[in-house]
Amino acid sequence: MMRGIRFPYASSRQTYWEMASRYGVLVAILLAVVVGSSILTPEVLQPSNLAGMSVFGVEVGLMAFGETLVILGGGGGIDLSVGAMYALSQTVLGAMFQAHYGVWTASVGALVMGSILGATNGFFICVLGIPAILVTLATLFAYDGLALVVANGVNISGFPPTFGVIGQSSIAGVPFQLLVIYIPVAVFLWYASTRAAYGYRLRLCGTNEVAARLAGINVRGVRFWAYVAAGLLSGVAGVIGTSRLLTARPDAGATANIEAITIAVLGGTAIFGGEGSISGTALATLVIALLGYSFGLANINSIIETGSVGGILIVAIWGQTALSSYSQRHRAGANALEASDRA
Amino acid sequence: MTAVAAEAGRAQNARRISMSMGYEWSLALFEVLGIVVLSMTTAGAFLRVTNLRALLVDIATIALPGAGMTLVIASAGIDVSIGSLLGLVAVVAGMLFEHNVPVIVVLGVAAVVGGLGGVVNGTLITKLRLPPIIVTLGMLSIWRSMVFALLGGNWISSIPLSLTSLTVLDGLGFLPYSFVFAIAVVLLFSYISRKRHIGRVIYAIGSNNEAARVSGLPVQRAIMFAYCSLGVLTAIAAMMTLGQSTLVQANTGSGFELSVIAAVVVGGTSILGGTGSVMGSVLGAVLVELVQDAVVLYRVQPFWQGVVLGGIILVAVSVGLAKKSQR
Repeated sequence: MMRGIRFPYASSRQTYWEMASRYGVLVAILLAVVVGSSILTPEVLQPSNLAGMSVFGVEVGLMAFGETLVILGGGGGIDLSVGAMYALSQTVLGAMFQAHYGVWTASVGALVMGSILGATNGFFICVLGIPAILVTLATLFAYDGLALVVANGVNISGFPPTFGVIGQSSIAGVPFQLLVIYIPVAVFLWYASTRAAYGYRLRLCGTNEVAARLAGINVRGVRFWAYVAAGLLSGVAGVIGTSRLLTARPDAGATANIEAITIAVLGGTAIFGGEGSISGTALATLVIALLGYSFGLANINSIIETGSVGGILIVAIWGQTALSSYSQRHRAGANALEASDRA
Repeated sequence: MTAVAAEAGRAQNARRISMSMGYEWSLALFEVLGIVVLSMTTAGAFLRVTNLRALLVDIATIALPGAGMTLVIASAGIDVSIGSLLGLVAVVAGMLFEHNVPVIVVLGVAAVVGGLGGVVNGTLITKLRLPPIIVTLGMLSIWRSMVFALLGGNWISSIPLSLTSLTVLDGLGFLPYSFVFAIAVVLLFSYISRKRHIGRVIYAIGSNNEAARVSGLPVQRAIMFAYCSLGVLTAIAAMMTLGQSTLVQANTGSGFELSVIAAVVVGGTSILGGTGSVMGSVLGAVLVELVQDAVVLYRVQPFWQGVVLGGIILVAVSVGLAKKSQR
């Protein structure tokens, strides 16, 4: 039944433009990156490298899912602190391990930590009503600082090799973290955001906050859980990252926030909320992972890579803005046409 | 009837002004208290002339871009790219110094580079109508990779002593030239923001962008002015930073944006736009630098600096909100 729900203005002619405005930039940039990287490093598209690339993309991809949920909720929702939560939950894992907790207990501790950090963001944003840009900018630096404090400024290593199963092993050639963590999480989030009541509430909060409130939705509560989800997903990414290198790094994820936001925007999440999809985000993750992996193969410094990601971010938001204003004009024209037909 | 309404409006305005003045006075009082505590508890380390002069230069370095950032945030925008822009200006200046270009020319070039950085942000925001946070987030990483590309993995340390003298060592008596210059600029921007047309347009945009547009106000020009002046002021701050620490690295200036935004927000400017004063941001800059100085003087691990800065922002804004809900 829920599947039948459409926004009132949707008709076949207009959804075409919506699709174009949502995915046009993504497809263009995907093509550009595929062509560019196969010129840069022709071997990048071999199957063996695809597995390596997905390892690269899983962690930032999980954070991008969290970012997507936060932005979907609207009200100026954005989370600049995902990379810092990734770093801090890693170092909490490391510190707990050093304090002689088992490595798996410590992993659970990292997940709890991630959720607490996300809930802290959510508290300031949704309960106190401070704008998300400001809160997450402040917590970005606070969490990064705490990560250094917890780890005493150095990498924590010495994890048992068995812990590497999450980040280093593979099942039938598919990386463990992709098969066992990323894909199930993606399916769950796809379900939660498109088929479950929570997803509808979140979208409605993003589309029309007043309508959502009048419909009896607890707007602040719905958004709060999106921030908690972003924290938890960053924690999951932190556990994977620690396992992948068998090292907890306090300076990890310094560029993750810009990558996660770029992926979300590129994947068609409207920056003012309400529109966006998990599948779009997953596809955009592939683009950024391909970019990062081929830059790595070509031995280009990661700072340059982040600069390119920044460029993609601006192009993506420009495409989104331009196409959506074009589709709005188109829609206005179509509506006028229909009105004159009726008359 | 209208006279009554106007009277009520005036009274409300007066109350609002006195409210914001009240906040600034209590902030200033808090800072005086902090200075007293710092002087008493650091066994004279705080009151040493070198420390105080360094503190004044630090305050100038934050307060200058703080004036521009106040305008940007008052227009309901934000600029998180200035840390990377500061790095870029520092690299360009350092490369010119390596070729023995005179200081005055370098200052000019730096201001142009900073201004261009602001023009890029302003153009993307006004002409393409992109959201400021996304644009400046993207530029943050783009400027940073340009810094890296220009440095090519090396660093620059050939900053002439004359720059250090100009920005840090020399001054009017006790006050370093940087500080005196910052006071002049801050007064100018305070005047622009309160009395000049373009300043009032910026606040109008921040209160209601659409209303400002349909009223025929020069929205694009005003926003461009805000980002452009922030860029130029950031460039001057970059030269002051170079005068203090004569080393340019790939990460020069990273995190600078947080200090400036913290100063502006602590100074009472709402991130939602339409309010805020340049003078408040100066008080914010003083608080931010006092705290950073305290972190050094009390020999706290430097890792705590980000935690403390982030905490200050959250506490200041929460206090501001609590006060507003009282009204």
